[in-house]
Amino acid sequence: MRGILAVLTGLALVVGAAAPVAAQKEIVVGLQCDRTGATQTVGVNLCPGYHDYIKLVNAKGGVGGYKIRAVEIDHEYKVPQGMEAYERHKKEGAVLIGVYGTPHIYAMAQKLTEDRIPATSPGFGSAAAADGQRYPYIFPIAATYWSQGAAAVEFVKKQLGGLKGKKLAYLFFDNPAGREPIAVLEDLSAKEGFQLKTFAVPPPGVEMGAQALDIAQRYRADFVIAHLFGRSPSVSIKELKRVGYPLRKVVSFVWGSAEADIEAAGGWAVAEGYYAMQYAGVGTDFPVLNEIRAMYKQEGKEAPKEMMSTVYYNRGVLWAAIHVEAIRNALKAKPDVKITGEDVKNGFEKISGFTLGGLVPPLKITSLDHEGGGLVQIYQVKGGKFEKVTDWFSAYGDVVQKHIHEAAKK
Amino acid sequence: MIHRECGVLKTSYGADMALYPLPIARWTVGAIGVLMFAVVPFTLHEYYLSIVNLVSIAVIGALGLNILVGYTGQISVGHGAFMSVGAYTAANFAVRLGWPFWAALPMGGLMAAAVGAVVGIPSLRIKGLYLAIATLAGQLIIEWTINHVTFISGGVQASIEVPRPALFGISIASQRQMYFFLLAFVVLAVVGTMNLMRSRVGRAFIAIRDHDIAAEIIGINIFRYKLLAFAISSFYAGVTGVLYTYYLGVANYEQFQINVSIDYLAMIIIGGLGSVLGSIFGAVFVTLLPIAIRYAMEAFGGLLFSEASVRNIIPNLRLILFGGLIIMFLVVEPEGLNRLWRNIRNYFRVWPFAY
Amino acid sequence: MAEDLGFFALLMSNGILIGLMYSLIALGFVLVYKATDAINFAQGEFVMIAGFVVVASLLAYKAPLWLAIVVGLGAMIGFGFGLERVMLRRLIGRPIIAVVMATIGLAAVLRGIGPLTWGADTKNLALPISDEPFVLGPLFVPPIQILGAAVSLAFLAAFGWFFLKSRKGIAMRAVADSQQVAMAMGINVERYFALAWAMTGVVSALGGVVWGSLLGVDVHLSLVGFKVFPVVILGGLDSVPGAILGGLIVGIVENVAAGYIDPYVGGGTKDFAPYVLMIVALMIRPYGIFGKRIIERV
Repeated sequence: MRGILAVLTGLALVVGAAAPVAAQKEIVVGLQCDRTGATQTVGVNLCPGYHDYIKLVNAKGGVGGYKIRAVEIDHEYKVPQGMEAYERHKKEGAVLIGVYGTPHIYAMAQKLTEDRIPATSPGFGSAAAADGQRYPYIFPIAATYWSQGAAAVEFVKKQLGGLKGKKLAYLFFDNPAGREPIAVLEDLSAKEGFQLKTFAVPPPGVEMGAQALDIAQRYRADFVIAHLFGRSPSVSIKELKRVGYPLRKVVSFVWGSAEADIEAAGGWAVAEGYYAMQYAGVGTDFPVLNEIRAMYKQEGKEAPKEMMSTVYYNRGVLWAAIHVEAIRNALKAKPDVKITGEDVKNGFEKISGFTLGGLVPPLKITSLDHEGGGLVQIYQVKGGKFEKVTDWFSAYGDVVQKHIHEAAKK
Repeated sequence: MIHRECGVLKTSYGADMALYPLPIARWTVGAIGVLMFAVVPFTLHEYYLSIVNLVSIAVIGALGLNILVGYTGQISVGHGAFMSVGAYTAANFAVRLGWPFWAALPMGGLMAAAVGAVVGIPSLRIKGLYLAIATLAGQLIIEWTINHVTFISGGVQASIEVPRPALFGISIASQRQMYFFLLAFVVLAVVGTMNLMRSRVGRAFIAIRDHDIAAEIIGINIFRYKLLAFAISSFYAGVTGVLYTYYLGVANYEQFQINVSIDYLAMIIIGGLGSVLGSIFGAVFVTLLPIAIRYAMEAFGGLLFSEASVRNIIPNLRLILFGGLIIMFLVVEPEGLNRLWRNIRNYFRVWPFAY
Repeated sequence: MAEDLGFFALLMSNGILIGLMYSLIALGFVLVYKATDAINFAQGEFVMIAGFVVVASLLAYKAPLWLAIVVGLGAMIGFGFGLERVMLRRLIGRPIIAVVMATIGLAAVLRGIGPLTWGADTKNLALPISDEPFVLGPLFVPPIQILGAAVSLAFLAAFGWFFLKSRKGIAMRAVADSQQVAMAMGINVERYFALAWAMTGVVSALGGVVWGSLLGVDVHLSLVGFKVFPVVILGGLDSVPGAILGGLIVGIVENVAAGYIDPYVGGGTKDFAPYVLMIVALMIRPYGIFGKRIIERV
C-alpha cells in the first residue's frame, strides 16, 4: 500500500518534471486564476474568456507574426501559491503577468519591479498602483476601487438629484480591498455634504442580517453603495430585500454585479431594480464575441457555457485584449528583437482609444496613469436581464488623484 | 554493516552527548550539508530554488508547531496568527523606526512569543478539542485586531512593504541569495530544536504530553512549562512570519489565515508528531504536493480530459488529493513519514543481516 | 426611543431565528460526538454535499421538491454509513488530534469533490416559501428563517425523545458512556456507531436544504460549519438541548455585537464576539452549559 504510493508519487514527479519546450515565434504570457478558492465562481468564468480571446488571436495568425501562449496557474486565491505561480511564469519566460487578487498584487509589487515584468490587475486593488511613477510595472488597466467609489457617488448624486443632507450607506466586505474606497468616500462626503455610514461584513460574508436591518430600519439610508465579493453580493440582495429595502436604491461595485450573483440571489425577478457597476461591456452582443462563437462553430463545437456568464467572461476577454494590444505595441516598437517585459510595459503606456466594439472602455494608459481613466458603466437588473443605464463615465478625478499622490508619498 | 553502532566508544562527556555520535550519521549529515550549501544552489534553476526557499520557511514553522503539538501535546490552530504577529511587528519596526532586519527579526519573534503565551493561558484549564477551539478563537481575534487596528496594520491596505534585508552591505534579493539566507536560519532552527528537546525543558514538555498529572506530581510546574511551550512555538512562528515577509517584500495578514494554520498541522501530522526529522519531511511534502499534482496533471491530464476541463479539474483534484493523503496517512501510518524513515533506517541498522 | 426598542427587537428576533438555524448544523456535530466521541470538523461540508445533491436532483433531473429531499436524505444516510465504515472505524482509539485531522482532510476532499462533480457556480435551491417577510409590528420575519427554526425545534423534540425514552437512544447513550461495558451488555457497538452517523446524515440533509435555500448552493455553503464551534462549546459538546441553547446565544450575541458594538470599532465584531464569549465561558465552565463533566482519574 505504502509502496504503491511511493512509486506513484515518484513517477508523477519524474514525468511531470519534463517541462514543455517553448516553440519558436512564441510569446509567453502568465495568467493567474482562482478556480478553487474564495472567488472560484468568478475565476471559472473569467479565465476561459481570457483563453478564448487568445485562441481567437492565434487563429487569426497571432500578433505581429508571433503566437501567444497563455500559461494559466490556479492559486486558490492564496498568496504563497501565487508567488510560486509567478516564479513558474518567470521560468517559462513570461513577459507579462495577469495577476488575480488584491493581496497578490501587493505581495508581488516589489518582485515585479525588481524583475522588470509588468503585471495587470483589472478590477482588483491596489488603487495606489494607478500611479505609473511610483509603481512603474503595475497596471490596473481598469477602474480601481477609488475610481469606482467616486463613480458610485456621482451616480447616486444623479439618482437622488443632489447629495446634500442625504444619508449614504457603504456596505463592504471587511478586508483591505473592501476598505480601500472608504477614504475617498469620506472625502466626498465632506465635499458634497452627505452623511456616510459604513457597515462592515466580516468574511466570508454569508450572513449579514444585522447590517441589513441597521441600514433599512435604524439608519434608513437613502442609497446603499455595496462593495462585496464572492458569495456576499447575492446574500446582500436577499437580506436587503428581506428587510424591505428597495433594491433600486442599491448600487454595487464591479464584483457584486454578475449574472451569477443575481441567480444565486434567487433569480432576476428577485433582484429587480438592482444597479451594478461594470468595467467591461455586458451581454452577448459584441462583434468579438460573435467571432469567438464563429471560431467554435468552425471547430464543430458549441460555444462554451462560460460565455453565458457574460459579466465575468467579457472581463476575461477585456483582460486578454488589453494584453494583446500592449504586446502589439511592443512588437511595433521593436519588430525584430525578442521583446522583454520592459518593452511590454512601454507597450501598455501607448494604449489609447482601443474599444473592441464597445466591450472595452476607451482607456488611455500613460506613463503617469496606469489605470486608464477610471471608466465604468452602470447597468440595472430590469425585466430579466441587465439593461445599460449609463455610458462610460468617470468622476471626481481630482479627488482620486489627490489620494494617489498621498499614497505615493508613503 | 553500514550503520554500525557497536565499537563506537567515547572517552569524554562532550563526545558522548554529541548530537550525532555515530560516524555514519556524521558522514550523512556532512554530505547533506555539502549538497545543500555547495551543490544545489549552483546547479538548480532559480525557479526550483524559489520552491526550496518556500520549503525552508515552512520547515521553521513546522518545527515550531511540532514543539507545541508534538512534544507538549497541546493542540493549537493558531499558528498562522502568530506568524502574522511576528510579520507585522518586524515590518512596523523596520518601516517606522528604520531598524535593520537583524534587529527587527528578534522583535518579531519576541512579540509573537508574548502573544502566544497569552493565547496559551486557557491551556491550563482546558485540553484537547476545547483547547484547539480556544486557539482557533485566538487566531480569529488576532486576525481581526491586525485587520482593524491601523497602528499595527499600517493603513487600510493592511499591507506593509519592507526593504530587502542586507548582510554586510549586500542586499539579499535574488532567489539564490535568499536560498543561503534562509538555509542558515533552517540550520539554526533545526539544531536549536534538537538541543531543546534534549534539555531539561524538552523533557518537561514530553512529560506533560505523556501524562500531565503525573508530571505535576513529580514537581514539574505545568503552568510554567505549558506557557513556555506556547511561547517558544510562537517565537518560531513569529520568525517564520518575519522571514516570509522579507522573502516576499511585503507583510499582509491575508497570507496568514486559518488555512495556513491547518496546513502546518497537516505538515506535522503527515511528517510525524514529536520529531524534528518529521517536521522537515512534513514541510517538504505539504509544500511540494500542490506543485507535484499540477505537474502530474499537466503531464497526464491531456490524455484523459479536454484542455478546458483539465484547468477546472486540476485545482479540485489538488484539494481532493491533499485531503485524501492526509486521511490515508492517518489511517495507514499514524506516525507519519518519520516512521517510514525509521523503518528504512532500522532495516539498514542490521543489514546485511535480517535481524 | 421606541425606534431603538424596535431595532433591538428586530435584532433579537433575527438573532433567535438565525441562532436556531446554527443549532441545526451543530446538532449533527453533537450527535456524532455524543455517540462515538468523534469530532467532525467536516460538518459544514456535509451540509454542502447535501445541498448539492438536493439541488442537482431538482435542477438536473427535474424531480419534484419532496423527491429531491428524499434523495438527499438517502444519499446522506448512505454517505454517513459509508464514512463510518471506511474511515472512522480505523481511527477508533487514536489520539484526538488524529480524528480531528482526519475530518479536516475529509473536509478538503469534499470541498474538492463538490465543485468537481456539480460545477462551481452557485445554484439556487427554490423552496415554495415566499421571500417577502412577515411583518409583525416592528418585526420583519423572513419565512425561511421560521422554517429553519421550526426544523431545529422539531429535531430537538425528536432527538430529546429518542435519547431519553426509546430503546435505541438509551443504547446509544450507553455506548457513548463506555463502549466496553455496552459490549458486555450485548449491545452491538458498531451498529450504533453507524446509526449515529446516519442520523447526522439526516440532520445534515435538512440543514443543507434550509441553508442552501438561504444562501444558495455552492462550495462556500461549507463555511457555515465554522459557526458550529462556539455553539457546541457554549452548549456542551454532547448535549442536544445544549446545541439549541448554544445556537441561540451565538445568534443573539452576533446580532447584538453587529448592531451595537460594530459602529464603535469599525465593524467586523460579529464574527469573533461569540468566540470571545466562548473563551470566557471556557475559563469558567469548561464543559459548556449542559456538557458532561469529564473527571480525570490518575
